[in-house]
Amino acid sequence: MMVELAHHLYLLVAVLGLALSVSYGGQPVLCQGAFLAVGGFGVAHLERAGLPLAGAVLVGAVLAACAGYLVGLLTARLRGAAVALSTWAFAWLVYAVLDAFPTVSGGSQGLVRPSPARLHSPVFDVTVTLTPLAHVVVAGSMCLLTLAMVARLTRGPAGLEWAALREAPALATSLGVPVLRRRAALFATTAAVAAVSGAGITVLLGVAAPSDVSPLLSLQLFVAALIGGTARLWGPVLGLLVIAVIPPLADGLAGAAGLPAEASGGVLTAVALVAVPLLRGPVERFAGRWPERTRRPGEPVEDTEDLAPRTAASREAVVLTARGLDVGIGETDILTGVDLEVRAGQVHALIGPNGSGKTTALRALAGALRPKGGRILLEETDVTGAGQLEMVRRGVTRTFQRTVGLERLSPYRQLLLGVRGGSPVPFAAVRHLFASESMRDHAAAADREAWRALRLTELAGRASDRPGDLGAGEQRLLQVARAVATGARVLLLDEPAVGMTGPERVVLARVLRRLAAGGAAILLVEHDLALVHGVADRITVLDRGRVLATGTPESTAADPAVRRVYLGDTDPSSARG
Amino acid sequence: MSGGVALQAILSGLALGAAYGLIAMGFTLVYRLTRVIAFAHGDLVVGGVFVGVLAVLGTTPVAAAPGLARSAGLAVLVVAAGAALSAGVYFIAVRPFLPGAGHRSTGGDVLGWVAGGLAAGLLIREVLGLVLTQDAYAVPDPLRLGRLTPSGVLQLPGGGTVAVRTLGVIGIGLAVGILVERLLVLTPVGTAMTAVSDDPTAAALLGLPVRRLVLVAFVVAGALAGLAGLLIAPDRSLGVDDGVVLGLKAMAAALLGGLGSVRGALAGGLALGVIESLIVASDVLGPRFADVVPLAILLIVLALGRQGLRSSLREDPE
Repeated sequence: MMVELAHHLYLLVAVLGLALSVSYGGQPVLCQGAFLAVGGFGVAHLERAGLPLAGAVLVGAVLAACAGYLVGLLTARLRGAAVALSTWAFAWLVYAVLDAFPTVSGGSQGLVRPSPARLHSPVFDVTVTLTPLAHVVVAGSMCLLTLAMVARLTRGPAGLEWAALREAPALATSLGVPVLRRRAALFATTAAVAAVSGAGITVLLGVAAPSDVSPLLSLQLFVAALIGGTARLWGPVLGLLVIAVIPPLADGLAGAAGLPAEASGGVLTAVALVAVPLLRGPVERFAGRWPERTRRPGEPVEDTEDLAPRTAASREAVVLTARGLDVGIGETDILTGVDLEVRAGQVHALIGPNGSGKTTALRALAGALRPKGGRILLEETDVTGAGQLEMVRRGVTRTFQRTVGLERLSPYRQLLLGVRGGSPVPFAAVRHLFASESMRDHAAAADREAWRALRLTELAGRASDRPGDLGAGEQRLLQVARAVATGARVLLLDEPAVGMTGPERVVLARVLRRLAAGGAAILLVEHDLALVHGVADRITVLDRGRVLATGTPESTAADPAVRRVYLGDTDPSSARG
Repeated sequence: MSGGVALQAILSGLALGAAYGLIAMGFTLVYRLTRVIAFAHGDLVVGGVFVGVLAVLGTTPVAAAPGLARSAGLAVLVVAAGAALSAGVYFIAVRPFLPGAGHRSTGGDVLGWVAGGLAAGLLIREVLGLVLTQDAYAVPDPLRLGRLTPSGVLQLPGGGTVAVRTLGVIGIGLAVGILVERLLVLTPVGTAMTAVSDDPTAAALLGLPVRRLVLVAFVVAGALAGLAGLLIAPDRSLGVDDGVVLGLKAMAAALLGGLGSVRGALAGGLALGVIESLIVASDVLGPRFADVVPLAILLIVLALGRQGLRSSLREDPE
C-alpha cells in the first residue's frame, strides 16, 4: 500500500515535470517514460560502478537533462504534430534499445539494485533507511517542491516567455525571445525531473525493469499532464486521478462485474484515456486555465523627462541601410536590388501595390529572411544574415501585418516581455527562482521601460486590462508598443493602421511622430496614403520587387512612374497587362 | 552476406515494404487532408486482421488453411474491418479536435488529437487483448499463393530461395498501391481530395464536402491498412501489441517518401522494407536492430529531413 502510494507520487513528480513542456511550453511531449528510464537504469548502472546513491541520482538527472536538451533542440523547430511523432518515436526507440541490449536493461527481469536502500551521510554521520514511508515523504516533498518552483517561475520572467512560446512563437522570436533554446531548456528540465522520478522508483522497487518504463507509461503521463497541467490547483489532483485512481478503479469495476479483472480493467483505462482529451475543454472552463495574477501594476508617477529623446546626438544619421538587396522565398525572387536608408528621427514609409515585396523587405531587414544578395548595414556594422534574435538585441524590431495576441497577458505584461526580450538578463528564470537580489534592480528597470513604452504609445490607461477588451485599433497600437518596449532604435512596422478607425489613425500618427522625435528610426509599411503623407519624412515606392522611386512625399507623389503604378495614369506605350 | 542471401533479403524486403507502403499511403492521405498524424494507424492493421480472423473462424487464430469461401470472406472482412475501425477512430479521437473549416493554420487542438489517437490505439489493443491473450498468433493465409508450386518456394540464382507468396505479396501490394494512387489522381473524388489538401478553406468555399472527404480518406486509409495486414500477417506471427511499431515504421516510410505524395509513400515503404530486411539478414546487425534502425531513421528524417519535408513539418515562421 505504502509502496504503491510512493510509486504513484513519484509518477506524479514526473507528471508535474512533464506539465512544464506540455502545459506551459505547449509541446506534445510523448517520451517522458524514456527519461524515466534514463534515471532508473542510470542509477542502477552508476551504483554498480561505485557511485553513492545521491551522486548516482544527480548524475542520472544531468545525463537526462543533456539528452532532453538535445531532443528538445532537434524538435524545437517542428510543428506540434511532428513533435508528438518524434517524441513518440523516441520513446519506442529507447524501449527497443532496452529490448535489444539486455546488458543495458538486464533483460526482461530488469536490473536489480545492488545496495540496500540505505542512505549514509559521512558528513553528518547519519544513516537513513529508505522504508516505503520514507519514500512517500521524499516523493511527496518532491511534488510540493516542483509545484512551488513552477508556481514561482510562472510569476517571473519565465512565465511571460512561456506564454509567448505557447501562444505565439513567431511573435516571441520577433520580440527577442530565443524560442528554440527556451523549448530545449524546458525539455531538459522535464527530462531531469523525470530522471529523478525514475531513480526514485528504481530505489523504491529495488529493480529497474523495461516494462516499468514502456511507451504506454509515456502516454499515461502525457494524458495526466494534459488534463492536470492546465489548472494550477486542480492539476496535481487530476493528474493523480489519471495515473493512480483510474487503473485500479477500472480493475475493481471489471472485477465487480464478474469480468477478468486485469484485461477488462485495461479496456476501461483505455476508454478513460480516450475520454480525457474530450473532457479537457469542460475541465478547463471549470477549473480556469493559467489564471493570470490580477495584481494591477502600480503606474509610477508621470516623469515627463523620461519621454524625452534619448539619442539626440545622432539625429538624422543613417541607422539601417539596405544595399542591392535580393531576397527570394524558395525559388521565387521577391526583391531585386533594393536600396533603402532609414534615418534616426525619421518616419520612412515603404509603399507599393499588393505583392510588391514590402513585407518581404521588412522580414529581410529584421533578420527573418536571409537575403540572397546585397548587404544590410546597421550604422557601420554589416548585419547581413544576422538572425532575428540578434537583430532585436541590436535594436531592430518588427511588427506583424496580422494582429498577434497573447490573450492571457495584460498589455503591461506583454510589454515586460518585450523589455526582457530586447535586453535579456542571463539566467533570468533561475535567478528569479532563487530570488537573486540583482533581479530586483532588473525588475525595477524593466518596469520603468514598460511604462515608458506604454506612455509613448498612449496605452498607459489600458495597462492592466484584458487584451480581449481592447479595441481593434488599440490591439494594433499594442503591437507597436511591444516593439517599442524592446528598446528598438529601428522599428519596422507592417501596416499598423489596418483595422483602425479614423480617430485611431490620428492617435497612431501622433504616436509615430512622437517615437521619431524620440530618436527612433521608423520604417513604415502602409497602404493608407493619407496617413503616410501625414507622418512620413521620406517615401520609398516598391513595385514588383524593385525600387520605383524614393524621396520626399511631394517628389514621389509627382513621380510619373509612381503615378502610373498607383493612380492608373496609363501610358499606352508602356502599360501591358 | 552472399549474393543469393542478399537477393533473398531484398525480395522479402520488397514484400514487407509493399505492406509498409500501403500503410504509409493511408497515413500520407490522412495527413495531407487534415495535417493530423494518425497515431492509431498501426493498430488498424493489427485490429483489422484480428477482427476479420475472429469473425470468420469464430475462434482465436489457428494455422490451418481455410477453404476457398472462407478465404474470400476473410480477405473482404479484414479490409472492411480496417476501414470501419479507421472511421471509428476518426469519429471518437480526431474529429472533435479538428479546426473548423478555414482555420487549419491553427492546426486545431494538437494536444487533443495526439492524445485521442494514441488512446484510441490503446483501446483497440486492449479490446483485442480480452480475447487474444497470447503474445503472438499464427494467422491463416487467405491468399493461398503458396499452392502455385508444389513446394511453395522458388530457387533463386546464388543459392537462396523465395516463397511464391512473397512474389505474390509484392505484386498485389504494388498493384493496389498504384491503382489507388491512380484513382486519387483520375477520379473526381480524388481531385476533390487534392483540393482539400491544398487549401481546405478554398475547397469549402467551392462547396466541396470537406468533412465527408476527410472521412473518405480515413476509410480508404483503414482499408489499405487492413489489406497490408492481410499481406504480411501470415508470414510472421502477429501479436496484438505489434501495431504501434508497425505504425511508426509506416510513418518512417511516409516521411522517407517526403510526406507530400501518396506515390512517394509507396516508394518510401519499399525502401524501408528492403533496409529492414537487409538489417535482419546482415551478420553485423541482425534481427535485434529490426526495430531500432527504422525508428532511428524516423527520428533522423524528422529532425534533419530535406527542405520540402522540413517546411511542411516545421512551424510557419510567421
